[in-house]
Amino acid sequence: MSYLEEGYTLRSWLTTHDHKRIAILYAIAITAFFFVGGAAATMIRLELATPQADLVQADTYNKLFTIHGVIMVWFFLIPSIPATLGNFLMPLMIGARDLAFPRLNLASWYIYVLGGLFTVATLIAGGVDTGWTFYTPYSTMFSNTNVILAAAGVFITGFSSILTGLNFIVTVHKMRAPGMTWFRLPLFVWAHYATSVILVLATPVLAMTLVLIAAERLLHVGVFDPALGGDPLLFQHLFWFYSHPAVYIMVLPAMGVASEIITCFARKRVFGYRFMAYAILGIATIGFLVWGHHMFVSGQSMYAGMVFSVLSFMVAVPSAIKVFNWTATLYKGSITFSAPMLYALGFVGLFMIGGMTGLILATLALDVHLTDTYFVVAHFHYIMVGGSVMAYLGGIHYWWPKATGRMYPEMWGRVAAIVIFVGFNLTFFPQYLLGYYGMPRRYHVYPPEFTVLNVLSSAGASILAIGYLLPIGYLAWSLFRGKKAGANPWDARGLEWTTPSPPPKDNFAVAPTVTEEPYAYSPERDAEMAGGRIAQP
Amino acid sequence: MSVAHRIAEQFETREQQREADSLGTWVFLATELMFFGPLFLAYFYGRTHYGEGFAVASGRTHVWLGTANTALLLTSSLTMALAVRASWIGRRGVTLLLALTAALGVAFLAVKGIEYRKEWDEALVPPFRFVFAGEHARAVEVFYWLYFLITGLHALHLTIGIGLVLWLALRARRGDFGPHYHAPVEMTGLYWHFVDVLWIFLYPLIYLLERWR
Amino acid sequence: MNPAPVRTYVLVWAALIALLALTAASAFVNLGAFNSVANLAIAAAKALLVAAFFMHLRRHASALVRVFAGAALFMLALLFALSGADYATRHIAPAAWSSPPSPTP
Repeated sequence: MSYLEEGYTLRSWLTTHDHKRIAILYAIAITAFFFVGGAAATMIRLELATPQADLVQADTYNKLFTIHGVIMVWFFLIPSIPATLGNFLMPLMIGARDLAFPRLNLASWYIYVLGGLFTVATLIAGGVDTGWTFYTPYSTMFSNTNVILAAAGVFITGFSSILTGLNFIVTVHKMRAPGMTWFRLPLFVWAHYATSVILVLATPVLAMTLVLIAAERLLHVGVFDPALGGDPLLFQHLFWFYSHPAVYIMVLPAMGVASEIITCFARKRVFGYRFMAYAILGIATIGFLVWGHHMFVSGQSMYAGMVFSVLSFMVAVPSAIKVFNWTATLYKGSITFSAPMLYALGFVGLFMIGGMTGLILATLALDVHLTDTYFVVAHFHYIMVGGSVMAYLGGIHYWWPKATGRMYPEMWGRVAAIVIFVGFNLTFFPQYLLGYYGMPRRYHVYPPEFTVLNVLSSAGASILAIGYLLPIGYLAWSLFRGKKAGANPWDARGLEWTTPSPPPKDNFAVAPTVTEEPYAYSPERDAEMAGGRIAQP
Repeated sequence: MSVAHRIAEQFETREQQREADSLGTWVFLATELMFFGPLFLAYFYGRTHYGEGFAVASGRTHVWLGTANTALLLTSSLTMALAVRASWIGRRGVTLLLALTAALGVAFLAVKGIEYRKEWDEALVPPFRFVFAGEHARAVEVFYWLYFLITGLHALHLTIGIGLVLWLALRARRGDFGPHYHAPVEMTGLYWHFVDVLWIFLYPLIYLLERWR
Repeated sequence: MNPAPVRTYVLVWAALIALLALTAASAFVNLGAFNSVANLAIAAAKALLVAAFFMHLRRHASALVRVFAGAALFMLALLFALSGADYATRHIAPAAWSSPPSPTP
């Protein structure tokens, strides 16, 4: 009996302790938020289709990009891969029956939903206009919008992140099956482990900083506003101490997903497995040391700026190792361009562009010109949307048969992947140029000479929107009409593929014992065992 | 065996469960410390930018009440540690030691309450009742703002700790704990000591600036 | 479990109280900047005692637990060090104290 058949009532879902069901609960909740955040993005791109203010005025526009940022960062991207795919797969991949603390896992979903309700309340109450960064003194002294309500939502949902991270850390340390040594762990697990460490150590700092913001706004006493004796850069240090590592919370799990997919559809071992694992840890560690590159023109000491600039360059090294190793994994592989693979390859390419432009922004002198322009917007969307969302969708497709027991329609999967890739590039590549030519971010109007590039960007956004709606349709269809998937439709390695699809509640009938490395793929063996074992053409 | 002695279904062995509980608690304490981080950094900012003002403000705190409170909390850590020890080896007296720990915690809160009351009377409570003349007024205000925030948060943590310890005392009286099952006592003990360690650092930062003046 | 004797716990407590007396007394002597150094060093010593004996990091903890016990301290040190790199080298022109406008919450 699969985990889906353990109970059909709403109550059986809302009180479940099963990590797989909680993953589904998360998937539903974050998908809802993705479309709310996406609606805000649609309004933004519509407004920017013309140089004048036609659709909204400045105040509304400020609220639109703020709510887009708040929802997409905290209610979609941060929980996206860890809380859904991670929750579902971590115990399966390490051969455990569940996470170490199943009740805590359910609690973290409820906390997430509670935080989400505050954010919805913020929207209903009229929104908030500070930008997702809540910079002081604007947020504490001048903004006349619902800063406290929005901050409360983020504060609450932070605890959901913390509990998920805590759960994953203990699970990886204490729940591995016999024989599952650290260097037999799938890179997906390594990536989630590193992500969890960041979640646990960085999120509390954001939480307390938001408390300070709310209190300063409410009581007019505090440590951030210079008029009160405070220092706005103190806020920026604290905020980016969390929010820069948060980028790695979003992208490390994506790297884990990409590693799993690329090795499977290239039918080859991951090239340089150990270096991949070390690179994950390296990114997580150095990622904590670079936050000051968000503050180059803030009035921060230029000597600190130099230190942060050098450290930011250093984080590119492990990132580049990963891109190199993915490429080397493909070399002489027997590659199938299935839908998950298209997403994963899209991830690698877009992540690389996003990363390279990050180096440009980490250069002190260039940043003076590019800061707060659309160049920055394009850069982080390449990492977060081009990188993380592509990998998230790739992971959804790759493990869809495992989670649901059904195959998605392969042709539609490929079409959607290509539509998203094209739409994404058309949306955001022009923004690099806009930023380079000097168009500042966060304005609802712009000089007419920027019109062509903005129209291109808005046109791309509509293609992107179609690309995101497609999977909703055909994935829902596949739930009922999709071909039944066997335990291992991709002929993939990894413990999660040894269980039936969908897996039973306790995952494994007998606790597995691990005897081989991860990714024991070999094209030669595949050739010997020929006979079209890859399920789809 | 009572319900509490069962191994949760996701674990294979009791030892695995015990280690998971212990590691989980330590990770939780790490998040707690990070949670206090911004307050310490804010204090560091104030101390380095308004050294004199902070010293003046610290001079107005009630150093002897603070010292007595530190002694109370250190002693409560001793009784808590002894309670954990007794539950490990199945000794009697767990209930008594836990009750004593909770009582010392309550005593700390009572003294803290007296201090707050005095500060209210001295109009040192920004922003509700704050009157301070002189050039350091704003620095003193920042100091006391952080003081109330940090000690208030600490007191909140201690209150939660007292609740947990009282609940444990009731369970200990029922005979729930013994050599084979004492994870709740151990975990609460770690939490209690963590709250103590926080105070160990808060004490000199709050009360002892340039006392020789 | 083979815990330390009660005597060890009581001795640690006595040491803690002695350190408390020492730190309180030292504060009333003008040592200049060393007042802060002494206070923080004593606080660190006390914290170490509590962690090592009362929290059993010395005898009953795995290396893993010790790493996590130190992890947050390490991260806070980084926060202070890199923010400090800014504060130590930044010239601040203080703003005038002022009464800011009152926004609606």
